[in-house]
Amino acid sequence: MPELIPSREVFRHFPFWAQFLFYLTAFAGTIIFFYGFYSRIRKYRQGRADNRFDHLTRRFLNALSIVLRNQTLYRGDAYAGFAHSLILWGFIVLFIGTVIVFLDHDILRLMGMHLLQGTFYLWFSLILDVFGLLFLVGLFLMWARRTLIMPYKLDYARVDRDEDEYDRSGYLADDGFFLGLLFFIGATGFLIEGFRIYADQPPWAGWSPVGWLTAQFLSLMRLSPATVNFWHAAAWWTHAVAVMIFLAYVPFSKAMHMVTDFVNLMFRDNRVPRRLPGVSETQLKEGMGYKTITDFTWKELLDLDACTKCGRCHEACPARSAGQPLSPRDLILDLRTFADATFGTGEWFSQRVKGWNTDRAVIPGGIIKAETLWSCTTCMACMESCPVGIEHLLYIVQMRRTLVDEATMDDSLQEALMNIGDYGNSFGQPARARGKWSQELDFPIKDARREAVEYLWFVGDYASFDPRIQENSRRVARIFHRLGIDFGILYEGEKNAGNDVRRVGEEGLYEMLVEDNMAVLQQAKFQKIVTTDPHSYNTLKNEYSEFGLQTPVYHYTQLLARLIDEGRLRFQKKLNYQVTYHDPCYLGRYNRETEAPRKILRALGVEVKEMPRCGTNTFCCGAGGGRIWMDDAHIKERPSEQRIKEALTLGKLDYFVVACPKDFAMYSDAVKTSGNEGSIKVCDIIQLVEEALG
Amino acid sequence: MHIIVPLRQVPDLVEDLEIDASGKDLDREWLKYKMNEFDDHALEEALLLKEEVGGAVTAVALDGGEVDKLLFTAAAKGADRLVKVRGDFPTPLNSHAMARALAGAIQGLDYDLILTGVQAVDELDGQVGVLLAHYLGIPHVSVVTDVQVHDGKAVVHKEYAGGVMGEFDVILPAVLGIQAARQTPRYAPVSRVRMAMRKSTIEEVSAEASAEGAPDIRKLFKPEKGAGAQMLEGSPEAVAEKIIHILKEKGIVQ
Repeated sequence: MPELIPSREVFRHFPFWAQFLFYLTAFAGTIIFFYGFYSRIRKYRQGRADNRFDHLTRRFLNALSIVLRNQTLYRGDAYAGFAHSLILWGFIVLFIGTVIVFLDHDILRLMGMHLLQGTFYLWFSLILDVFGLLFLVGLFLMWARRTLIMPYKLDYARVDRDEDEYDRSGYLADDGFFLGLLFFIGATGFLIEGFRIYADQPPWAGWSPVGWLTAQFLSLMRLSPATVNFWHAAAWWTHAVAVMIFLAYVPFSKAMHMVTDFVNLMFRDNRVPRRLPGVSETQLKEGMGYKTITDFTWKELLDLDACTKCGRCHEACPARSAGQPLSPRDLILDLRTFADATFGTGEWFSQRVKGWNTDRAVIPGGIIKAETLWSCTTCMACMESCPVGIEHLLYIVQMRRTLVDEATMDDSLQEALMNIGDYGNSFGQPARARGKWSQELDFPIKDARREAVEYLWFVGDYASFDPRIQENSRRVARIFHRLGIDFGILYEGEKNAGNDVRRVGEEGLYEMLVEDNMAVLQQAKFQKIVTTDPHSYNTLKNEYSEFGLQTPVYHYTQLLARLIDEGRLRFQKKLNYQVTYHDPCYLGRYNRETEAPRKILRALGVEVKEMPRCGTNTFCCGAGGGRIWMDDAHIKERPSEQRIKEALTLGKLDYFVVACPKDFAMYSDAVKTSGNEGSIKVCDIIQLVEEALG
Repeated sequence: MHIIVPLRQVPDLVEDLEIDASGKDLDREWLKYKMNEFDDHALEEALLLKEEVGGAVTAVALDGGEVDKLLFTAAAKGADRLVKVRGDFPTPLNSHAMARALAGAIQGLDYDLILTGVQAVDELDGQVGVLLAHYLGIPHVSVVTDVQVHDGKAVVHKEYAGGVMGEFDVILPAVLGIQAARQTPRYAPVSRVRMAMRKSTIEEVSAEASAEGAPDIRKLFKPEKGAGAQMLEGSPEAVAEKIIHILKEKGIVQ
């Protein structure tokens, strides 16, 4: 008797016609897959050019690392991250297994080779069995999440439309079909294995533990060998057809995220939205911003397809949370539906929105409501929470540019922009009054336009003009003075830095502000810039370089933290306070500076209690992106009030510490409007520094 | 439908205003100018009418100050044609001189409707429109808040004191003094203003402008303050009590 070599037949007991039929099915599935794939590529090719092809190897490896580790999915949702890891790795291993079978059977065999036998086959069986099981467990966990746990982020209800204005049952069908089909494929795979082991009883069956176990269960039915063979064939065909349906389904469904999300992560730009793109000459002529879907770049069209409706942005968005008609998720999905309608591509299961006139091609104000776009605070929470690298803010700002170009905006925003255009500040105060806050100091601040200084302090609108905040500016000045920092300001030479003007979408005004500020900066003598305002900090640091600014830019907390390190800032007394610290979006999230302010707080000796949303995961005060200039009277519960509530869950707190003039204004108001004046006080970090210096 | 909107530059009240050595005019050396707010409403109404019935809007302004920026801003908002009127105009400009200069310039232009602001912050008499209509020999209605145009005539709403509103049929061409446009005057995006600076042309015409008939300014002075103010002190409730008491005393509330 010849020694049995462990192996298995691919087409067990199959006549030729059945093999032929299988190849025919596989061919059909593959054709549909590639057709769908091609129509997607064709769609992206109709987008505008955007050169993101630098450092391709680094981009590829970075995306690979994120995807294989499920890194972005674990963040903030370990359950989903874990379940996704199981599915992803199960899928990858099963996919590689299938490819090995294909190579072995359809290519190597023709060359007289046979890979899947002996020890290699045994390990192959074991590994595929284990990962197949993990795959099913992952799918089960995801199913349980959708049907039993039902987190808010998976609720497809819209915040910008009434229930009868849209139909999203297609999305639910897609989710069900995707999970169900994958589970079905996995389960029938084990059934095939079970029937085969039941029929053949190979001595190495233990290397397929799940298959062996399945065979044990099946054998309880005491079937005749012919019946077992029949059921094996039936399971085999069901499995094969399901796989081919899946293959055909992929490019027309959320399953495509397996490809699009990898590519999307590979081509994302980490500088967005710290640095926004300018406006080209052609755009100037044809009207600013994005009017129609062909104004979008290929990467942005890819973004729209990358969304898996995971809802993390929907949950994180302060506008959505305040009851405003904006959900980043729904913005992406609407744009996707509209893009598919325009390009004739599409998904098997999608949403329907009533009252859309897809012939009327203008998107901002049409397909996407103007109030939706104006609700955005540009806090970047959506992009931060997005696991697949979608850059929502890019096109929100682009569409706002169109709205500004058509002068569709809130009256109070219009007034602020006109003030900034006329006087260089949003307060409508004469430019001469900009340095007035410094008059109450008992020392003069150098005028950096006339005297050389080490640090040029770019004060910003709110710190200069808002009477509530001027005292904080004087504190900063007194402390700089006391620490012997050689600093000066630009007085009336300074204008609004333009960070929020740009994010409102008023690019022309932004350019004008940059030109005016640059003219003054070029004439001033200084080595470094320090700002009190994180918004000014962001644009000076990341965007002014395009206009010729080359000096380093610091936030005042960074400067103070460095002085602590150098031993130049030492505190006489320790402060015995319990505080929480609110990271400004433009410092913590945009520019990843979460450590400097905390270093100062530690040096002060205060006890810092962190809010659930802190660091780069901070929650917006609601003022960014020009929202501070817009009417917020109709907002249900302002983000700033929600934030104060969040702080109050930490127990007793003496101070809610901020490091941003706008935050100081917003939270001082929020404490009053939410009726918490007795329970918490808002202070700028500089106030504590001054107190500890004695 | 050809609509002409005369635009007037007025001193920017945000800046501190100084009186010059003559004591009869503002010190104009560092004066910042802006578009008269009522003229901005007239322009808005003109642009809305153009959007409704078609046609063209011509912005006309007298030379001086920041007139080019003013006209380019009008172009950015949607004005089709820009006309600068050159001439020897008196300073400060008064309604009589302005109306004569405008009449001289407008005579040579096509028009069905002329919309002026009802008045200007530096000349509150509201006479520019009235005089302009007189010089052109066409009808005039002032303090208009609503304009609709049908078949060679305009139906306008005129506001009277005490909330009374009158509706007039006006035969075109006519001059209307606009009190307020139907909506807030639109924003002029800076990129559009800059584009207009590069692409639009400003036509120039000359006109005579005597100030005859205008009042003589003998002295210009800042409002005298200080008299009559009474500071109320105490808790918010006490202050409220005092306010109510004073209002009753003066017969403002019962």
